[in-house]
Amino acid sequence: MLEVKNIYKNFGDLKVLRGVSTHVEKGEVISVIGASGSGKSTLLRCMNLLETPTYGEVWIEGKLMTPVDPYLHPEVIEASKTFASLKASGMGTEEAIVKIKAEDLLKEKHSAEGPLYKKLMKELYEANHIDVNEGRRKMSMVFQQFNLFNNKTVLENITLAPIETAKYHHEKDMKAIKEKVEDQAMTLLKRIGLEEKALVYPSTLSGGQKQRIAIVRSLAMNPDVMLFDEPTSALDPEMIGEVLDLMKELAESGMTMVIVTHEMGFCREVSDRVLFVDEGYIKEEGTPEQIFKAPKNPRLQDFLSKVL
Amino acid sequence: MTILEILEQSWDNFIKYYIGQGLLWSGYAYTLALSAITVLFGTILGSLLAIGKRSKFKPLGVIITAFVEIIRGTPALLQLYLAYFVIPMLLKMPGLSPFTSVAIAMSLNSAAYTSEIIRSGIEAVDKGQTEAARALGLTEKTTMLKIVLPQAIKNILPALGNEFITVIKETALASTFFVGELMTTYKTINGINYQTIPVLLDIGVFYFILTFSLSKLLGVFERRMKKRA
Repeated sequence: MLEVKNIYKNFGDLKVLRGVSTHVEKGEVISVIGASGSGKSTLLRCMNLLETPTYGEVWIEGKLMTPVDPYLHPEVIEASKTFASLKASGMGTEEAIVKIKAEDLLKEKHSAEGPLYKKLMKELYEANHIDVNEGRRKMSMVFQQFNLFNNKTVLENITLAPIETAKYHHEKDMKAIKEKVEDQAMTLLKRIGLEEKALVYPSTLSGGQKQRIAIVRSLAMNPDVMLFDEPTSALDPEMIGEVLDLMKELAESGMTMVIVTHEMGFCREVSDRVLFVDEGYIKEEGTPEQIFKAPKNPRLQDFLSKVL
Repeated sequence: MTILEILEQSWDNFIKYYIGQGLLWSGYAYTLALSAITVLFGTILGSLLAIGKRSKFKPLGVIITAFVEIIRGTPALLQLYLAYFVIPMLLKMPGLSPFTSVAIAMSLNSAAYTSEIIRSGIEAVDKGQTEAARALGLTEKTTMLKIVLPQAIKNILPALGNEFITVIKETALASTFFVGELMTTYKTINGINYQTIPVLLDIGVFYFILTFSLSKLLGVFERRMKKRA
């Protein structure tokens, strides 16, 4: 469902991710653990391209979301293959370039072949790529700092993105959609027992309430996968429980989730798979049982001895 | 010269010139007109500069930065002089009124400051707001219009009000070219009766009444805005 391939991320000279690959299956709950600065949050942020990976690919439902390097464009790949084979057959560099250019020109001249070739390339591209915004709507994110929109009421916070999405898709009956979205938002608010807060602004809410609403806001997009970036790290201790309970409920309902967390107990309880990220690599990966009871990697053993 | 004498002369001037010849009203009218034009065009142009600076087309950003730095780094009076001589030439209108040249120069000057006010107002909005919007799949444009700008305006409006007051005070520079605003009124009366201190004090009071009431008015708006948030 969600797959990252060989992700590298540099911030200037700092190499935060050094080749991370993993995949998330439907209904799976994956926890990402590791020390501060290990790259686990960056990995999560690369998944929905809030950080553009320096190198590597993100695939959502079989479609490539990372921007395509122009040098990886099929046309260019084909040309470079031709170039290599021409060189192999003993042709000089300049001669080979001239020949490839001549062939390209031929394609343009052939009135039937030229546009057809372009159309084929366009179709190939569209079949395999997904627009960044479109992709992000399939995997909404919950932040450490909640990030509820300060200038919107709780209800508007939840309905804004679904309504705008309908607008982007040029839906005709916006009034009906608005009503439907608002109904859904109220149902979600009822589910977390905050329906009476629908019309207040976020500044009046407690941290725990804010985070539960942020989760519900993500849910309203009907995402295929939800990304959680340390969702309880900014909360007062007495509010962590309510947020974790909601997340547990989501996990049990079959939601696909990727959770960056420091809550080891929670991680152990809900995860299907745990990734240990360290120094920009996934150093160990396994079921909670394997990771917590029989850690193999010395760095993981060290990390666990500190946090457990 | 005693205080009593000053007051006496002020009162005479008040009856004779400020009211009698209507110099007070014309002075206020020109000051307000010049400030209003400056703030209006300064804000429009300043917004465009702020947008331009955020554009992905880098050379535009460099040009705008250079413009802002030059405006902020040279005296406003010098800019007015330059405008006074250069703008009629550029527009090929030798008879252009000094008021127009001065208004153009002051608008450009104010635009530089306003663009910085708008830019910092936008940058003061928490990055998390943008991230949350983009993570929900909103486009850059929707994020700007629906999330960032409404919050930025709350930072921008008070600073813009202060800019308005600054501009009102700076219009005094325009008296160099006798455009008819309050400071010109001083020069006019001083030219007739050679009084200096009483007239300067009068004009000072007139400026203060204007800026003080405007700042109180802005305070009311600000409080109302905060209440709504």
